[in-house]
Amino acid sequence: MKSSMTFHKVIIGLLVIYLIIPLIGTLLFSIAGKWDHTILPENYTMKWYMELFQDERFYDAFKRTLFLIMMTVGLSVVIMLPTIFIISVYFSKWERLLQATAMLPYGIPPIVGAVGLIKLYSDGPIQIAGTPWILVGAYFITILPFMYQGIRNSLRTLNAVQLVDAAELLGATKFQAFRTVVFPNIISGILVSTLLSVALLFSEFAMANLLVGGRFETLQIYMADKLNSSGHLTSAIVITYYSMILLLTGTVLKLTFKKDKGPIMSNKKRILSIFKKQYRQKNTALEGEN
Amino acid sequence: MSYVTIDQVTKGYDNQVVLNNISLTLKKGEFATLLGQSGCGKSTLLRSIAGLEDVDVGSILIDGIDITNLSPRQREVGMVFQSYALFPNMNVYDNIAYGLKMKKVKDINARVKKMIEMVDLIGKEASYPHQLSGGQQQRVALARALVMEPKVLLLDEPLSALDAKIRKNLQKELKRIQKELDITTIFVTHDQEEAMTMSDRIFVMNKGIVVQSGSPSEIYTTPVNTFVAKFIGNYNVCSIEVFHKLVRNSELKGKEVAIRPEVLQLVSTDEDTSDLQDNWRIEGFIKDVSMTGNVLRYEVETVESAFHVDYLHHRGKMFEQGAHVQIIVPKNECIIL
Ligand SMILES: Nc1ncnc2c1ncn2[C@@H]1O[C@H](COP(=O)(O)OP(=O)(O)OP(=O)(O)O)[C@@H](O)[C@H]1O
Ligand SMILES: [Mg+2]
Repeated sequence: MKSSMTFHKVIIGLLVIYLIIPLIGTLLFSIAGKWDHTILPENYTMKWYMELFQDERFYDAFKRTLFLIMMTVGLSVVIMLPTIFIISVYFSKWERLLQATAMLPYGIPPIVGAVGLIKLYSDGPIQIAGTPWILVGAYFITILPFMYQGIRNSLRTLNAVQLVDAAELLGATKFQAFRTVVFPNIISGILVSTLLSVALLFSEFAMANLLVGGRFETLQIYMADKLNSSGHLTSAIVITYYSMILLLTGTVLKLTFKKDKGPIMSNKKRILSIFKKQYRQKNTALEGEN
Repeated sequence: MSYVTIDQVTKGYDNQVVLNNISLTLKKGEFATLLGQSGCGKSTLLRSIAGLEDVDVGSILIDGIDITNLSPRQREVGMVFQSYALFPNMNVYDNIAYGLKMKKVKDINARVKKMIEMVDLIGKEASYPHQLSGGQQQRVALARALVMEPKVLLLDEPLSALDAKIRKNLQKELKRIQKELDITTIFVTHDQEEAMTMSDRIFVMNKGIVVQSGSPSEIYTTPVNTFVAKFIGNYNVCSIEVFHKLVRNSELKGKEVAIRPEVLQLVSTDEDTSDLQDNWRIEGFIKDVSMTGNVLRYEVETVESAFHVDYLHHRGKMFEQGAHVQIIVPKNECIIL
């Protein structure tokens, strides 16, 4: 019993080290002055951060990325939540179709998708190729699997159909039933999907580069550009937006769980554990880029 | 004057008929039970009354009002689901108060308090459903439906997820509350014993039709067909030809004969049974003896078919396995189907 506990702790410890080392490396590099043939940097400096924070382009890129993400994720929640709810509760026959549609993005490589999108939207009735809107559209599709799975699984585990039945018999309209009984119980599930999507989009490069590139410089494109001039600066960018995401999600979690005691509390752990997964994803993504 | 009327209701899914021209009526304050095997359409009928399913043909009336085309929220019907369907984001108090809040009635607090007292949940007001036992969750579900003072209370196998002891307790309690509020109740179960103990009236269903209705004792003592006889009372059923051969007499006419296992008596073959006026005799031997608590069940093999004979288990003579016996069959207990 006891030895198996130690075993668990060692495994988890190793995992944490594995996950955290690249991050620490990046952090060190972003504040390193001279770092050639020593294990740790010879001296430290904040000059990369100074440079970064004095660059107008950085702020603009950050704002653009934020706009894109909020637009996409917001749109996705507003459209997908009612769609999935209505289909799974009242048109369960069509659920397979929706599921297949939602999984489609996995099957299309970004390059192929991007070329197709540019072709499709450069003339005809909707000419949005090269504008941020085409990126919003593409991102909507990119995060579709996450949003779909998250929302549908929450509805399933909740047994939403029966709760709506019960609420209706107690005098609630369908909409009231959704608002008072279904929504509060799936909000944490939606939050998880949303945060996963935000994290995913923050590190998306292929689509952004191909679809809009320099015409609408997002953080990723800005970073790719800076990578050519200075690795230190790139590390500073990475650390900055890491901190941003951490701050953002931390705040959201706090706000969501402050007033709830009881049943939803246990979800907090679930969300936190998903966050760990997210880190790993991001790390591998960054390693690929650097 | 009937309070609930179900008039020739038919409903199917895809190409399968689930409710086949069902008609039944209930009096006000009656405790009625739909009894039948799994898949015979009990839940579907209940959900149709609640408005959670549309019927294809027929109409449903409550208190003289045709509710066939009303939405669930307009029907003033309360329902308790088999899986309780409590709202996980609300505590006991809020679960029970939910309907009253939706209807925006006054004195919510007083009514909820009274109901909590009635179902014996005082002190649990602030607990969430996942913090309650199965029996307690069931009480919350019941209180949540009852607090609305529905015209009809629908209970879909509300006790089937509970263990035997709690189940017995809740049966009594449910009955007490039902009498106290004098609320017309339709109860669904596939447990014939539960149906017998609780109901004023039982509707036995089979494959989407009501095959028999009546008081528990009517159903038990005078089943109308083989299905009811076998499903309700473990009747011994045999064809008339076999029966004629066994009793060496062809007085009885009909198709099949049904006899309850507890009206039969066993005597040993050498014993002289005087009263042959009112009884028939069948010879056989004891194939098996089993005991279910207070009842001894003999399986007696005869030349044609096996009979079950039930005895109350008390001290005294007991037949051994393999013993040759005569079954004494009272003539007036033979039911012709
Ligand atoms: N939504 C549905 N779609 C298709 N068929 C259904 C649906 N709901 C029920 N059925 C069918 O209708 C029949 C009756 O179902 P119902 O749930 O009324 O049975 P039941 O008597 O309540 O059984 P149980 O005792 O197992 O609850 C079953 O054969 C079932 O397969
Ligand atoms: Mg059922």
